Amino acid sequence: MVTTKSTQLWETAGKVLRHAALLVIALAMAFPFYWMATSALKTNDEIWSFPPVLWPASPQWQQYAEAWMEAPFWRYMANSTGVALAIIILQTINSAMMAYAVTHMKFRLQRLFSGAILLGFMIPATAVYLPSYVVLSRLHLLDSYAGLILSNGVSVFAIFLIRQAFLQVSYELVEAGQIDGASHFRILWTILVPLTRPSFAVLALITFIDQYNNYFWPSLITKSPELQLVSAGLRSFFVEGGAYGLKWPLIMAASAFTIAPLLVLFLLMQKTIMNSFNLSAGAAKG
Amino acid sequence: MRRSAKLRKDALAVTFTLPAMIPLTLFWFIPLGYILYLSFTSWDFMSPEKVFVGLENYRYLFDNPAFYEAIKVTFLFCAGSVLPSMAGGLVLALLLNRPMRAAGLYRTLMFLPWVTPMVAVSIVWSWIFEPEVGLANTVLQAFGAEAIGWLQDPKWALAGVLIVTIWKSIGWAMVFYLVALQNVPAELLEAADLDGASGWDKLVRITLPLLSPTTFFLFIVQTIGALQAYDQINVLTQGGPSGSTRTLLYMYYQSAFESFNIGEASSVAVVLVISCLLLSLASSFVSRRSIHY
Repeated sequence: MVTTKSTQLWETAGKVLRHAALLVIALAMAFPFYWMATSALKTNDEIWSFPPVLWPASPQWQQYAEAWMEAPFWRYMANSTGVALAIIILQTINSAMMAYAVTHMKFRLQRLFSGAILLGFMIPATAVYLPSYVVLSRLHLLDSYAGLILSNGVSVFAIFLIRQAFLQVSYELVEAGQIDGASHFRILWTILVPLTRPSFAVLALITFIDQYNNYFWPSLITKSPELQLVSAGLRSFFVEGGAYGLKWPLIMAASAFTIAPLLVLFLLMQKTIMNSFNLSAGAAKG
Repeated sequence: MRRSAKLRKDALAVTFTLPAMIPLTLFWFIPLGYILYLSFTSWDFMSPEKVFVGLENYRYLFDNPAFYEAIKVTFLFCAGSVLPSMAGGLVLALLLNRPMRAAGLYRTLMFLPWVTPMVAVSIVWSWIFEPEVGLANTVLQAFGAEAIGWLQDPKWALAGVLIVTIWKSIGWAMVFYLVALQNVPAELLEAADLDGASGWDKLVRITLPLLSPTTFFLFIVQTIGALQAYDQINVLTQGGPSGSTRTLLYMYYQSAFESFNIGEASSVAVVLVISCLLLSLASSFVSRRSIHY
């Protein structure tokens, strides 16, 4: 009797401690976002006051509008979104076709192509940016939307992900399609893709996040301000417009509205993103 | 007849691979060979001629103290970002891995940093690290410590960059561990309970060994990612102060796109490529042999 009561007490204490620890850590992790959003609302005095102000006395909401007007952020965000969507379409098509070829079409050289994917998986993309830059300039695609899209138009990870999904689809289904006289192209798009839709949802979402956040490579291959993606645009606003941290409220406002679409997307699509972890862990093992 | 049918079948399959193989060849395979070639030449991006210099770039590189400094920084950066975010992710996953209220909320908040753009959050952190009135120094001073030049002091700059990197990746590791923890068979843990095993015993003897494939996967993927880290370094420190955050990748970037020393840059890139290849090979080797479920 006594022992069960004390173990119960222990359990409750453990529960409380666990919640306390998790709550503190979670809030600490999210705090930079709060700090960003509220710093954007502070007056210049409040920004430089010591100790810092947790919540501004009179929030300067108009500073968000001010930051929005100071650089063509709508253009940057439209560029990023448009380029990311185009890349999603390209990667969906070429990953599906490539994965279909190596999983459901028997042909000579199949192993060669599987090996090529594996090799692509091992090459660190950033290390070959220099020669890729030269290739892109030979193709006269530097500083263009076409260059931004085509050079990111294939992802080895995406091919792996779809290949893994196609391996789960039974051969009988494909053979049945062939007996009915359907072409490979038809089998791929009307049988396999609909069956593996969750993997394509993951591909689209992960690619969107990656490409919207992409900075290094796009900033190398574009020079015109009107072609800049959102991260490069934000960074040049930080360096030039913000005069390296003299206009912190505006810089924080700009950071906030570039991050906002991703936060909203994440909250809406949380299930799909979490699902991606099951799938990508599997893809990496395969 | 049969032969041509077979040939047609092959041709069709190859056609299916082309939409992926053309960009892969243009932007991955050709560049891989090309950078190896460039590492044997002397070139400045502008002049029409690339002078073949043999191993000269490598000889220069291996005599260059800045190269060894960059290797040291790269090693510290990899170890200092990968190990803490894995350990932190594991602890958080263990804390979260049971039915409890608000688990979803905690998970969401901890995972948020991973989704957001590195450039934007690095800018936010450079405000937090602001030396005069920034949040980081305010907190330090509240605890009676001295203010730190987070991004200005060569002693601390790498730590500042590491904090941002760990903060961003810890939730990612956590979710991988959560998925793996859900696959630990409950019967095993129940059987251990019957044998009177303590919580710690169960963790060390059962759970952690079962997590080893995930641990290994995270280690390799995160290390390869860390070798390629650029955004946060570019925003926070640009490799400085006095080279204290200049990794091999950043050194490569600077010699290629700032000082146009293509030969030297390429030789650094080749070192990076080889490191990543070795890591990938080690991963496929180890996962085939010694990791058991």
